[in-house]
Amino acid sequence: MSFLILDRLTKSFGALKIFDGLSLSVNRGETVAICSPSGSGKTLLLRLIAGIYEPDAGEIVIDGRPVTGLAPDARGIGMAFQNFALYPHLSAFENIASPLRARSVAAPEIERRVRRVAEILKIGHVLQHLPRELSNGQKQRTALARAIVADARLLLLDDPLRNVDAKLRYEMRQELPRVLREFEATVLYVTQDFREAMALGQRIGVLCDGGFVQVDRPQRIYSDPSTIEVARLFGDPTINLYDSQLADGVVSLLGLGLALPGCAGAARRPCRVAVRPEHVQIAVNGEAGERAGLPVTIEAVTPLNQNAVLLLHTAAGDELLATTTLQRAEALACGPREAVALVRPEHLLLFDRATGARIRTD
Amino acid sequence: MTTQDMTQAAALPARRRSGRMRALLPYLLSLPALVVTIGILIPFGTAVYYSLQRYNLAFPFTRGFIGLDNYAQFVTDPAFWNTVQISLLYTVVTVGVELALGLSMALLLQHRTPVNNLLSVLLILPLMTAPAIAALMWKLMTNPNFGVFSYLVGLAGFTEFRWASSPSTALFTVVLVDVWVYTPFMMILLLAGLRSLPRQPFEAAELDGVPASFVFFRITLPMLTPYIITASLFRMLDAIQQFDIIYAMTQGGPGDRLMVFQVQAYLEAFTFTNIGRSAAFLMVLWAITFILSNLFIKQWLKLRERTHRAA
Amino acid sequence: MQHTSWHWRLFKGICLALISLFFLFPILWVLLMSFQTNEDILRVPPSPFFTPTLDNYRALIAGELTGAGSTLKIAYMKNIWNSFVLSACSVLLSLLLGVPAAYAFARYRFRLGENIAFTLLSFRFAPPLLVLLPLLLYFQDLGLYDTYFGLIWVYQLITLPLILWIVRGYFEDVSPDIEHAYRIDGHSWLRSFLKIAVPLARPGIAAAALLAFIFAWNNFVFALILGSSDVQPVTVGALAFITASGIQYGQIAAGLVLSVIPTFVLALVMQRYLVEGLSLGAVKG
Repeated sequence: MSFLILDRLTKSFGALKIFDGLSLSVNRGETVAICSPSGSGKTLLLRLIAGIYEPDAGEIVIDGRPVTGLAPDARGIGMAFQNFALYPHLSAFENIASPLRARSVAAPEIERRVRRVAEILKIGHVLQHLPRELSNGQKQRTALARAIVADARLLLLDDPLRNVDAKLRYEMRQELPRVLREFEATVLYVTQDFREAMALGQRIGVLCDGGFVQVDRPQRIYSDPSTIEVARLFGDPTINLYDSQLADGVVSLLGLGLALPGCAGAARRPCRVAVRPEHVQIAVNGEAGERAGLPVTIEAVTPLNQNAVLLLHTAAGDELLATTTLQRAEALACGPREAVALVRPEHLLLFDRATGARIRTD
Repeated sequence: MTTQDMTQAAALPARRRSGRMRALLPYLLSLPALVVTIGILIPFGTAVYYSLQRYNLAFPFTRGFIGLDNYAQFVTDPAFWNTVQISLLYTVVTVGVELALGLSMALLLQHRTPVNNLLSVLLILPLMTAPAIAALMWKLMTNPNFGVFSYLVGLAGFTEFRWASSPSTALFTVVLVDVWVYTPFMMILLLAGLRSLPRQPFEAAELDGVPASFVFFRITLPMLTPYIITASLFRMLDAIQQFDIIYAMTQGGPGDRLMVFQVQAYLEAFTFTNIGRSAAFLMVLWAITFILSNLFIKQWLKLRERTHRAA
Repeated sequence: MQHTSWHWRLFKGICLALISLFFLFPILWVLLMSFQTNEDILRVPPSPFFTPTLDNYRALIAGELTGAGSTLKIAYMKNIWNSFVLSACSVLLSLLLGVPAAYAFARYRFRLGENIAFTLLSFRFAPPLLVLLPLLLYFQDLGLYDTYFGLIWVYQLITLPLILWIVRGYFEDVSPDIEHAYRIDGHSWLRSFLKIAVPLARPGIAAAALLAFIFAWNNFVFALILGSSDVQPVTVGALAFITASGIQYGQIAAGLVLSVIPTFVLALVMQRYLVEGLSLGAVKG
C-alpha cells in the first residue's frame, strides 16, 4: 500500500490557481524526486503536505491516516528547508535535538541520537556552535540532521543543496542516498536540477501546470518523456526540437524525411519532432554511405564533461546540437566543416503541436 | 469497520478543531487590543456627542442638543482665534528651532569619536525628563528672587526680564523649555539617519574636491529629507497639543497669552465647567492632529519599510 | 572632510560646548540646588560653591517638609511609588496584551487586525483630553476614578500602541519558515511562539518596553484628571507641592532630582534601544 497519497489536491492564491487536481502516491521507503521549472509550486506542495498551508480541496494521507486539517506538529514529518530555517538563537545541537525534545525523549537518549546523526553527517565537531558560526555546508547538514533525527516517517527535502557550493553539492549528491537508506525514510525530494533528481530519486515526478505530468523511473523520464516540457527539462544540452508534419507515416526533420512504421495509417497532422543531441550522429568524408542524412556545417565544438557538443547549421540556417566523444570531436574540429547529420527514426520523439503531449510512434 | 476507517473516524474531531483554531487564532490574539481600542472609541464618541450639546455642569437643566452651535460660535469668538493663533505659533516656532538645532547637533556629533559618543548619550537626558518636571526645573531657575537664569540675564542688563510671568516673554520661555526637552529627540533621529546614509556619494564628492556647502545642500540634505519629515511631523503632532509644559509653567497665563488648545479646553472643562464648549475645542484640535497623524503614519511606514528591508 | 583646518575645528568645539552647556546646565544646577540649604540658594550672586547637605532628601524621604515656620506632611515618596506602580504595571499589561497582538498583526493578514492597529496608532497621536474628559465621567460612575486599576487601564493608550507597532516590526523580520520548522519538529503553536518568535523579537520587545516605561513615567495629564492624591504619580505630585506655599527651594530641587533618576538610569543603561523605540522602529539605533 502507498505510504503517502496526495489525492486530487487543489490550491489557489486569489485568482492564481497553483494546483488543480494534483495526485501522487509514494511507496514506503521510496525516494521520489520532484523536479520542475521554477515557479511551478514545488515548495508549496511540500508545505501543503507539512501542514503549513491547507489545500482548498483534496486529501493528503500519510501512512493510512488522512492529515488534511491537522496542525504541522501532529503530522510526524521531517522537513529540510531551502533556506535552512535554523533557529538562530540555539546551538547546532539544540537545533538538531528540537524534534526529540518535542517528543519528550529522555536527555541521554537525545544526546545519543543527536551525536549519531551528527557523526553520519560529519558535523559532530560543530554541535556547540550557533548557526551564524557555521559554514553554509554545515548549516545545510544541520538542517538535514534535524529533519531525520527523530526517524520521521516522511521526509520532505526542499531543494536542500540549492544554497551550497558546487563541490559540496556534488559530495552530498553521492552521500545523501546512503544517509536516507540508513534512516529508512520515505522521501520527497524537491529540486530544480535534473541531474540531482536523476541521482537521488528512485522515481521522478515532473510538476507542471498544476499537476504531475509524469511520474516514472529516471531512465524512463529521460528516454520516454510524456510531454515537451519533460523532454526539455531533462537533458544537457537540451533536446533539439522543431515544428514538423506527420503524413503517411513519414515525419520531416528539418526537411529530412524519416519513416515511422508505427504511424503508417495515421492522418496528416502538425506535430513537433525532437531528438536528443547524443542521438545525432555526424558523418564526414562519405562515412554516411548510402544512408540518408541532413547536410550540415559544423559551426562550433564545445567540450562538456567527457563529451563535446557540436553546434550544427543546416543550409536553411536551422540550428542542431549533437554530442560526441572528445576524441571524435577533436578529429572533427581539424577536418572539413561540411558534414552529414544522421538520425535513426526510433530515436525521434513526436509531440502534439497544440497540447505538447507525446505522440506514440510504436 | 476496517482499521483504516477507525483511525480516520478518531482523527476527525481533532482535525476539525485544529482547523477552526487556526482560523480563530489571530482574532484571539488581538482580542485584548480590540477591547482597549473599543475602550478608546466609546469615550471618543461621547466626546463628539458632548461637542454637539449645550452642556455646562453649573447649569445642569439647560443641557440639550444644539447641533453645531458650539462650533458656529467659534467663528466670531476672539478666544478661539487666540487659541488657534497661539497653538500654531507655538508649533511652528518650537519645531522650527528644534529642527535647526537638532540638525546642527546631529552634524556636529556625526563621527563616532569617544567625546561624541559620550555627548550623544548625555544630551538625551533632557528628553528623559518629564515635560512637566522640566517646566518646574526651569521655573526654579527663572525665579525672580534666586533663579540663576534671572541673575544671568540681569548681569547682561535685562533687569526687568520676567520670563514666564510677563506677557511679552511668556511664549519665549515655554518655547525655550520645549526646545530644551525635545531638541534631543530631533538630534537622535537625525543622527541615526545621518549614520545610516550610504557612504559612496560622500566619498566620491571628497575625491572630486566638491565644496562642503555643496555636499551638504546637494547630498546630505536631500538624502536626510525622509528622516527630517518624519521627525518634524512627529514633533508637530506633539507640539500642537502641548499641555504639560504650559500648564505646569503658567496654566495658560499670563492672561490668555499661552492659551493653547488643550490648556484652553482643560480650563473650559474644569474651571468654567463648560463641557460642551471644551469638547468642541478638542474636536477642532483632533481634526488638525488627524490630518497630521495621517501624514506622519504614511511617512513613518515608508521609512520603516526601508529600515527593515535593509536589515 | 576638507574643513579640518584648526579654526573650523575650534568653531565646532565651541558650538558643541555651548550646546552641551544649554542642555546639561539645568540638570546640573538643580542637582546642586538639591544639596543646598535655603540660605545658600537665596544668596546673590548664585554660587556653585557651598557646603553640601542631605537635609533636603532626608526631609523628603521622611515626608515632613519645612514650611514657613511649620512642618508640612507631604507624602512625596508615595508619589514616586505610585509612578513605579503605574508605569511598571502599565508596561507589563501592555506587553501581555500587545506582544500576542503584535504577533497576530505581523503574521496574519486580516482586515480587523489592520484596523485595530491603525486606530490605536492614530489615537496615540490624538489629544488625550478628548478621551479623558468623557472617561472622567465614566470612571466616576464605574468607581474607577482615583484607582490604580483605572489609571493603568488608561495608560494603555500610551504604552500599548508603542509596543504593538515596534514589536510588530520585529516579528515581521523573523522568517516564518523558522517557526514553521519548529512546528514541524512537533512543537505546539504556543511553544513556537514562546521559544522562537518571542526570543527572536526580544531586542524589539526590550526597546518598546523601555520606551513605554519612560513615556508612562513622564505622563502628566492622565493622572492629573483621573486621579487624586492617593494614586497620583510624581509628575502631578511635584506640581502640587511646588505650589504649596513656603516650601524650601532645596526640597523642591531634591524632589525634582528624585523624579528623574529612574528614567535617566534607564536611558543610560539601555541607550542602544532608545533610538529604535523613539522612532517606533523606523530608524535603527
